[in-house]
Amino acid sequence: MTLAAVSDAGPLIHLAEIDSLDLLSAFDRLLIPETVYEEVETGGVPEGVSEFSYELVEADETRVTSEELDAGERAALAVAQECEVVLLTDDFAAREAASDAGVEVHGSIGVVALGYGRGLLDRSQAASLMRRLQRETSLFVTEAVVERGIRMLDEQ
Amino acid sequence: MAAGLSDRVREIAEARGLPESEVFERALERGLEDLWEDLALAQYFDGELNREETIERVGRTRVERAEREREVVEEDVDWGLNA
Repeated sequence: MTLAAVSDAGPLIHLAEIDSLDLLSAFDRLLIPETVYEEVETGGVPEGVSEFSYELVEADETRVTSEELDAGERAALAVAQECEVVLLTDDFAAREAASDAGVEVHGSIGVVALGYGRGLLDRSQAASLMRRLQRETSLFVTEAVVERGIRMLDEQ
Repeated sequence: MAAGLSDRVREIAEARGLPESEVFERALERGLEDLWEDLALAQYFDGELNREETIERVGRTRVERAEREREVVEEDVDWGLNA
């Protein structure tokens, strides 16, 4: 099955912080709205951007009216709706807005699990990356929750 | 990292007008509080503490946030393993 997604800045930044942007190669098609790319570029283009292929796309942000979301999140959600692809975000508000709009949505932890599911990582590497997301990045997630996610790797 | 921590302790002590020993003490208390909350939430998720006991220890907001995070992580891992 073809797997396509659009990302807002969160997963790009968090995966870059643990040197794991290459996991995005698990997607058959990855879209990045220009607004999102500009947001990420503001902090310096992360190393690893050349390790996966992506398409820069323009987005009609006016499709999304939620005032809680920033421009990049609105752009990514608009693309997800228009192209009917998965939205990648680590933001709770964006996640809720996507769910409300009927868009499938996942975050950085899901991308690591996807890397494991698709054989890009072994179990130990996936567990290590999940722990690094919690400890070394700006992603806020409770340690006990990450350990629950790691245990799920063994359950399936 | 060690030099970085020393620099931070010195800067906080100077800015707050505190002895460095008190900065260390407050850092330890704050770090211990985080670890204590993590432990309580882990025990709650493992079924060793019930919800009300966990709320007493870490507060309702923290428990509700962790529950929402757990829901999100479970959805994400399940998707990642089966996509």
